[in-house]
Amino acid sequence: MDLLNSYQNNYLIVFVFLCLGILLPIVALFLGKLLRPHKPEEAKYTTYESGIEPFHDSRIQFNVRYYIFALMFVIFDVETVFLYPWAVAYDKLGIFALIEMLIFVIMLAIGLIYAWKKKVLRWM
Amino acid sequence: MNSVPLSAYLVLALILFCIGLYGALTKRNAVIVLISIELMLNAVNINLVAFSKLGPAPSISGQIFSLFTITVAAAEAAVGLAILMSLYNRRKTVNVDEMDQLKH
Amino acid sequence: MNLDTLLSYEWGHMAPEFIILAVAALLSLLDLFLPKSYNRRSLAWIALVGILVAVVSLIGLLDSKSVSILHDTFRLDSFGKAFKLILLIGAACVILLAESYEPKEGLKEYRGEFYYLFLTGLLGAMVMTSSGDLITLFVGLELLSISSYILAGMRKKNPGSNEAAMKYVINGGISTAITLFGMSYLYGLSGTTNLKEMSGAMSAQAANGQFLYLYGLAFFMVLIGLSFKLASAPFHMWAPDVYQGSPTPVTAFLSVVSKTAGFVILLRIILTLFLTMPGDDTQKLSFLETHSIYISCLAGISIIAGNVIALRQRNIKRMFAYSSIAHAGYILVAISALGYFTFDAVWFYLLAYLLMNLGAFAVIQLITDSSHSEDIADFAGLYRRSPLLAAGFAVFILSLAGIPGTAGFIGKLNIFMNALMTDPGHFVLASIMIAGTVISYFYYFGIMTQMFFRPAASTEKIKVPAGIGAVVVLALAGTILFGVAPNTALDFLHNNFGSFNDFLK
Repeated sequence: MDLLNSYQNNYLIVFVFLCLGILLPIVALFLGKLLRPHKPEEAKYTTYESGIEPFHDSRIQFNVRYYIFALMFVIFDVETVFLYPWAVAYDKLGIFALIEMLIFVIMLAIGLIYAWKKKVLRWM
Repeated sequence: MNSVPLSAYLVLALILFCIGLYGALTKRNAVIVLISIELMLNAVNINLVAFSKLGPAPSISGQIFSLFTITVAAAEAAVGLAILMSLYNRRKTVNVDEMDQLKH
Repeated sequence: MNLDTLLSYEWGHMAPEFIILAVAALLSLLDLFLPKSYNRRSLAWIALVGILVAVVSLIGLLDSKSVSILHDTFRLDSFGKAFKLILLIGAACVILLAESYEPKEGLKEYRGEFYYLFLTGLLGAMVMTSSGDLITLFVGLELLSISSYILAGMRKKNPGSNEAAMKYVINGGISTAITLFGMSYLYGLSGTTNLKEMSGAMSAQAANGQFLYLYGLAFFMVLIGLSFKLASAPFHMWAPDVYQGSPTPVTAFLSVVSKTAGFVILLRIILTLFLTMPGDDTQKLSFLETHSIYISCLAGISIIAGNVIALRQRNIKRMFAYSSIAHAGYILVAISALGYFTFDAVWFYLLAYLLMNLGAFAVIQLITDSSHSEDIADFAGLYRRSPLLAAGFAVFILSLAGIPGTAGFIGKLNIFMNALMTDPGHFVLASIMIAGTVISYFYYFGIMTQMFFRPAASTEKIKVPAGIGAVVVLALAGTILFGVAPNTALDFLHNNFGSFNDFLK
């Protein structure tokens, strides 16, 4: 029962934060509208782009090459996850895990060689 | 400070899984379908980690399982997106309901 | 853990897997570093030699007792050995088909990858057959699936192939997620991922009536997820499209190796975990007995849907997709009517199915490649153009239809007897099976009439490449041998694997 109470209390905090989160922007925007002067002008309504005149749509298609780099990054990034537990427990695991990890890294290296030979590492 | 019960995590995972399943079955855009599948796999991760910490018989193997799930999910998403790219190059569409060339 | 523990494991028992892994790695490096002008076809022969060496090393292990290494994540029991043999033979035939595969636009620089991706897929399937842990089962399943996704989309310039691969990825991803969700509950409630320990924990909990509904839910999700992989109705929607769009050797791979692997993981999970677990707290019936109705439903619907929809197909690969759905249904009958002979029936049927289906796909690949179309009408007058090929294809079709004298008949008979011999007998399933077989005669014999009684569009003689010829001869010999003398296979099974009694130990 005690557990349930403290569990529900946790949600009370969430609720309070939710209310604050909704109230804060409303109050800030409302006060801002009350206090600021209102003088509309054409230039004020354009998009701010570091002082340069905006010249095309803000949503553009990125070069598809980024995608392959991102993909390569994700794959190798996720594979590193396996190296962390091994590194932390290296002293306990000993030579057995070292050999296993060597096989694992060699397999990854073959993947890297593949990417290199297929010219995905080069920006053309 | 560990008062959130197991059932809360399980319900969260179940909701996430259902959202993913709904998205995977109803969305037209193949990218969103792939994202929905990722949602379903992440629901599994929540389940595994919650069980491994708070389950009726806690053990570390759930966390290890979730590591493998994450890796496999990444590989699957990579392959899925690569296939989608090659499909897009041919057909200029990512809409699932326009992939209807193979029919009897 | 030091070097002594490392050396104390009997690594020799993993030799077939190591060989396949080494050959796959070698092929990928060769493919990268050989000059562009080099003909990559010879890589297929290296792959074939690798598979044959793995078969030899597996045969050398047949006598050894069941062992488990790496904390029981890898176990080589008679179940693993028996099904690994089927997988290896199937993969060897598929490599032969792939060697002679020549699509219209050519495979170009992807030919090397085409060969070693089959090997990685095979490796995943082999890991599945002999793993005693949920994690390795899952990793093996995904290794097979991801390799097959890429293989299905191998013809990059062909829109059909792209679309097949996309559909396969989406369906495969959803099914993986569903299976995993079920697995996460199985792990969470039992607290371990080792199948043997899980089985013990689950039996103990179920005997007290704990978590029965949650286990039921997990069972249900795992079953649904895996029935996507088996392509059993009502979760078969992807199969016809993927079979039609993929390159023909890949279709053969999916329908034989991938399907066998699906049944292997189904048997591993369902039998190890749920066979001994009591179904309720009265402990009268086992969990599997109370829930086998779900498997029976899948089997019945698969047989009916597969056979009926196949009737109106004009595309030969699509028709074989529906026929393979029906065959998955037949094998599920054996699993739902769980008895003493289930393993024998499933093993024999998968062997027979491998031979007749690969033989049929060899002929289909030859005809569709030469005519650049997959219509059944392309088979018209095959008898005039190449009598031997037509006779071979006729035997495969008769075997798929289950005509006496062929391996397919003996396989169906085994399953049928198994379904009737269990107590209580599965009479409904047995009669659905007979009805389905009768329906299948219509479309199988439709191809026969095309081949023998219709005039040929061209009188051009067909040149049979060595690889395809070898697969046809091998499959023909096997289909007839196991049809006339099925005891050669069954004796081999009983002498070497006993009655799979080390499966649960």
